[in-house]
Amino acid sequence: MPANLTLNAVAFISPQNHPIFIRTFSKQNEHAIKYHYVAHTSLDVIEERVNASGKQAGECYLGLLYSMEDVVVYGYVTPLKVKIVLAFALSDAIVRDIEVTMIFKALHMAYYSATSNPFLKLEASNGANNEKSPYPSVASPKWKAFRNRVDEISRVVGSAANSQTSYS
Amino acid sequence: MNSYPPELLAQLAPIMFVAGLDSPATKSQDAFQVLTLRLRDALLAQRKVAIWQPEKTKSFQVVLVDRDVRFPPRKLLPLDDPQYAAAHSPLSPLTPSSPLHPDGLIAPIWIRKHTTLLPSVFVLFLRIFEFPPQASKTLPDLPDVDRDREREQEERKRDTELSAEVALRKKSMSERGIKLTVVLMASRRMLDDPTLDARLTFIRRQSGLDSRAALFVLSPVSAAELNDFVRSLQQALYESAVEYYTAHSKRVRRKRNRHSQAHSSYPGPAAVSGLNIPRPLRPEGWTVRYEYKMACFAEFRSEDEVALKHYQDAYDMLIIMFGSTAILPPRTKRWAEAKVLADCINIKIVKLYLYNNEHALALSHHNTHIRQFGDFSRGWGIGEETFEFWSWVARQHRILAELLDQGVRSALILPVHKPALTSQNLHALNQSTRIPGELDFARSAGINPSHALQHPGFYYYMAARCTEMRRERFQAAIEAELSSQPGNLSPGFANEKKVEHLAIILELYTKAYELFKKYTPASSQTQAQGRLTLWIAYRIAQTYHQSGKFDMAVRFFERIARTYRREKWYSMLPPLLSTWYTCAQQLGDVELSICLLIEMLGHDSVESEDPGSLEEDLLAVLKSAVPATPEDTLVVDLSEAQPIFNSSVILWTPDINVGESSAFQISLTAPTCRSIKSIPFSSLAVYVKDRVSPLIIRHSPSDTDPPLLGVVNLGHITPSNDDDLGGSRTADLRWHPGSTIVFRGTMSSDVPSVLKVTKLALTIEVNTWKVEIPLPPCSSRVQAGHAPRWLSSLDPPKFIPIERENYDFTAITHVPHQLDVSLVHHAPAFLDESYPIVVQVTNTDSRTFDIVVDILLQPTEIDDAVNYIVVDDQQSSGLIKGIQFGVLGPGASGKKTIHLFNSGAGGERMIDVSIQSRPNDSEDETNEDDDNENDLLSDDKTETLRTLVIPTVNPFKVTSDVSYRHKQEPWPGLANLQTFDAKFWDDRRGGEAIASMKFECTGPWNLLLDSVTLEREDNIQAKIIECSTDQDDADMFPAEYLPGDEFRAIYRISLATDEEISEDLILGPGRFVVKWRRNGQDAELDDRLCTTFISLPSLRHPSDGLVALLNVPPVATLHDPITLSLIIRNYHPSRSANIAVQLEPDTLDGFIVAGLRSGHIPVLLPGAEEKLLWRLIPVECGHVRIPRLKIFNKRAAIVAAQGSDQSGSNADIPSGEVVRVVNVGHDRGCSVDVGPAGGEDHTILVLP
Repeated sequence: MPANLTLNAVAFISPQNHPIFIRTFSKQNEHAIKYHYVAHTSLDVIEERVNASGKQAGECYLGLLYSMEDVVVYGYVTPLKVKIVLAFALSDAIVRDIEVTMIFKALHMAYYSATSNPFLKLEASNGANNEKSPYPSVASPKWKAFRNRVDEISRVVGSAANSQTSYS
Repeated sequence: MNSYPPELLAQLAPIMFVAGLDSPATKSQDAFQVLTLRLRDALLAQRKVAIWQPEKTKSFQVVLVDRDVRFPPRKLLPLDDPQYAAAHSPLSPLTPSSPLHPDGLIAPIWIRKHTTLLPSVFVLFLRIFEFPPQASKTLPDLPDVDRDREREQEERKRDTELSAEVALRKKSMSERGIKLTVVLMASRRMLDDPTLDARLTFIRRQSGLDSRAALFVLSPVSAAELNDFVRSLQQALYESAVEYYTAHSKRVRRKRNRHSQAHSSYPGPAAVSGLNIPRPLRPEGWTVRYEYKMACFAEFRSEDEVALKHYQDAYDMLIIMFGSTAILPPRTKRWAEAKVLADCINIKIVKLYLYNNEHALALSHHNTHIRQFGDFSRGWGIGEETFEFWSWVARQHRILAELLDQGVRSALILPVHKPALTSQNLHALNQSTRIPGELDFARSAGINPSHALQHPGFYYYMAARCTEMRRERFQAAIEAELSSQPGNLSPGFANEKKVEHLAIILELYTKAYELFKKYTPASSQTQAQGRLTLWIAYRIAQTYHQSGKFDMAVRFFERIARTYRREKWYSMLPPLLSTWYTCAQQLGDVELSICLLIEMLGHDSVESEDPGSLEEDLLAVLKSAVPATPEDTLVVDLSEAQPIFNSSVILWTPDINVGESSAFQISLTAPTCRSIKSIPFSSLAVYVKDRVSPLIIRHSPSDTDPPLLGVVNLGHITPSNDDDLGGSRTADLRWHPGSTIVFRGTMSSDVPSVLKVTKLALTIEVNTWKVEIPLPPCSSRVQAGHAPRWLSSLDPPKFIPIERENYDFTAITHVPHQLDVSLVHHAPAFLDESYPIVVQVTNTDSRTFDIVVDILLQPTEIDDAVNYIVVDDQQSSGLIKGIQFGVLGPGASGKKTIHLFNSGAGGERMIDVSIQSRPNDSEDETNEDDDNENDLLSDDKTETLRTLVIPTVNPFKVTSDVSYRHKQEPWPGLANLQTFDAKFWDDRRGGEAIASMKFECTGPWNLLLDSVTLEREDNIQAKIIECSTDQDDADMFPAEYLPGDEFRAIYRISLATDEEISEDLILGPGRFVVKWRRNGQDAELDDRLCTTFISLPSLRHPSDGLVALLNVPPVATLHDPITLSLIIRNYHPSRSANIAVQLEPDTLDGFIVAGLRSGHIPVLLPGAEEKLLWRLIPVECGHVRIPRLKIFNKRAAIVAAQGSDQSGSNADIPSGEVVRVVNVGHDRGCSVDVGPAGGEDHTILVLP
């Protein structure tokens, strides 16, 4: 069964539940705001899952959070509590956890390498919120690498889905 | 659910008719009436008609009927009609009068027939006749036999009547295969009647009732027992009910099979399609009909799997029928009925799946249903562009939501879609790649999200969304109608006009909201509303807005915006704010409009096509309306929202001294995408900490356009002084998009505090409006925040990034006092000396200070160390506070000497010195009333801390040396009365000790020894006999001792013992007192003598057993006889000694010896001595060895020999223990084992 994953949006959310970066890949631009809502509402389910798992912490992949209208939302929490939310287009096919986990790990790595940029620290305000500073600025327009990598991942996911369908 | 016939949805259960329980007309306390009422309640409570009822408790749906209820006829014709066999049921499509004639599938009325008109079991409640018991009292004279006979006859008569009635009923039931059960109600007395069994058998036989579960007897019992009865009644009858429905199923199956075989005999559709006459039901339709019936009968029997199978078959066949417009022409009555039937079957299938917890299958079926009929709808012309379609989809979602809601309330458990694979077991699987099956599982693990069942709120939400779509389509249709294109108006359009879409949407959203709220995890429920609920709330608010209920919408918006602002999801705010703003406009709430417009100005990141629209709106609002209370300022608090300006306040230096000033810059950057140029800001207020009134910068319009980077000089600001410049500070408070104004100046303070800008506030003044917008001093719209930058040059603009943290404040402190502190002392210190430490404080400042010093002697961990310090007349072993140095003018210095006394052992001593200086305010005596000033000045205190580590050493190194000597004088006899005197100094055993003590000056300083004396402290065991220091030697002291010099004192101590020789040490009977002082030129040194006490070392008892003391003169003359005496002493406290003395003959070369050569001496009692004498005549000159004496204590040997006598051993008597011979001339031995046993090493110098 081919994975017919169409990635509609990716959201990175800080440990303080503030949005870091929300990228939408769907064609209709006016629906971009919708994915902000999706990312925001998914925090509810993420919190529930994280609290429920409680003791067995360290599990990053949270699985399907919910599906609403034409969107399926998957969640992931990095060990440093950055949340990654994926929104796929709803399709009547099995979504394999192993594939979603792979996308999440790629995105996590993208974020991780982007935040390793030492110049982010320079850019960030060294005010009171110094500790959490590298998170928001990573997605600022000034630093394109992160954005590009996320786009690249989305492209790979899309092409993989297509190639798999063409094979079958 | 209300949109579908309830018969088609309800869960079916076996039907039980209950007759004979007519509710009594009047309420009475008759036991049977009560029983009747209770029975009615208990029976009716067994089951409620509901859609979701998965329980399999073998309960019946009870219908209370009249006793002579009639069942509907099976066929329209009477039974005796010849056509009867060919006739059909009144509901069959083949019966012309049926509502289904000629091509209906199945009608709700058919279900109703089976749920209300036809039972599977019939329970008849009857009273059994009871002969009145009172009869015996009224007719006492009648003999018993007569009365019994009369009673028997009466009973038999009544029972026969009853049996006849039952038999009649039984006959009509048997025709239909319905089980008849009779419950006879009898009094409790009757139950005990021995004739009852016979009567019951009679009744059963007469009425032809079944032998099993057909006749019950019930007496009035309690409600609980009644429930038991009802339960057992149902248990007993359930099987009959199942049989009944099975029979129906069989009949239907037979018919279906007949049909499918006779399929070809029906006229084909082509034959009749051209005519407009009703066509008979097609074979597909018959299949649907029969499958549906079988499904229903299976459902009656609670055989869920069978029912599911038949429902699916019916559904599949229906789909085939819908697939062809020839079979089911769209938009006909039959088509609509079939559609309803399909929807209802779908729900039944979903429900049956859910009963079995097959969530994915249930949801999958539901989705397929929607998709399938969505596809059909397109073909029918009611596709996605029509409101009909969306209305239908909404209904499907809604009914699923309702079903789930009901299910969750009873037993349905919603699945949690957690990933089945955790990273751990994934890892484990990767390890065990050799097992292909498991890896496949790992690869394929996952769920189909569209089959993931969620809580019903989601489906209500979907229904609401679909209803929104429906409304959209409907409004499009209305527009089309208005534009006079009524061509494609659907038939339902007129009906649709009556529908209040918004009300439905609201209802659905509200239900979704409640469910989302219910399913919000408990933890987040406490802290905040769930975000999903907020999202629904947002939709509700939008709906309120659309339906014109602006006040409701505003209330929702307010609540939602609060969370969005707090969580900083600003991207979601602009659409919310703009809708909110339109609501506020509609409500005419000017102040709210202003607040919202100003908040919207802050949302810069959104690209808007008209950047100036908001500012125009704001100006328009301000100009058009008049404030309700013109004197009040409208404060727009945007503390949680995005600020309009990126603001930053930077103070250049982190800390300054009082009186110095720090440069600051306040920069305000306007949004880049929103124009705020024309907003008339009238003033900017800068609130500085500790400053009473804010610094106001007024707007002064200038003709030139505001630059992209403007600079306003504010001059110098002091927080305490408010009188400066006042309103004279002006600036052009207009901003281009993206432009920045930097306000710069300097700040200072006269008192120590913190310089900080606490708040900025912009004020807009238009048309009696006064709107104040507080701004946080440091904030930015973008989350990343701006690095603080300091404008270093205006042309070209250059900025320096500010690296330090807390760049927004400057700490102000007093100028530190310049003091020079010196601590003079000469380490190391000696123990027991008064060690001077000179503290000198010199004021090197230009001010006059009052100096106070605290000194703390740190406690040491050295054993027995008792230390203290003395300053002036204060003495302490810890802290001395408040040593006044007085007022020191510039250049002056003060001096104090601390004396440190150390005792115990050497080591390090630590002293902390704290010098506190305060400016001397004695000059300010003139303005003493200015308390505030004084208080502030008194805060100006500088503390200088010094820590001193002083090594301490002992002035002398003392070594002592002790040797013991036996007493040579003869012991007093054992019976000497003198020895019993209390004052008798019994030194028999102790002997005496000769000790010397050496004092060595260890330095490094020279000492002046003033005196060394021995202080006697004789005790009962030791007394000092003499000491070398007792001799008064005038030249000896005082004398200067350099490091390394030594002084030695020798003393003798007599030791006395009690009877018991204890092992304890004897305390030294005195101590040496050394008076000395440090010999130096230092003026600070104390002239007083220091005294060091040195205790004498402890002494030990000599512990000898037997000792032979050999006394021989050291010098002899040739041929001149000398006396050699040997004293053998028994020191042992209890043992007597048996001494043998032997003179070694081989050592007698140098002397001629007269005396005992070998022999025993009398037994020596404890504490006794024996003296032996020899005369020696030396015959050689030089150092001649004295004859060796061997002395044995044979006591132990004798004891041993006696013990071994019995064994007959004639071995030589062992020689026994050797007794030590001590030459008293060399008696220095302090221990027992010194020297060999004999005196062979001792020699006598024999002179010629």
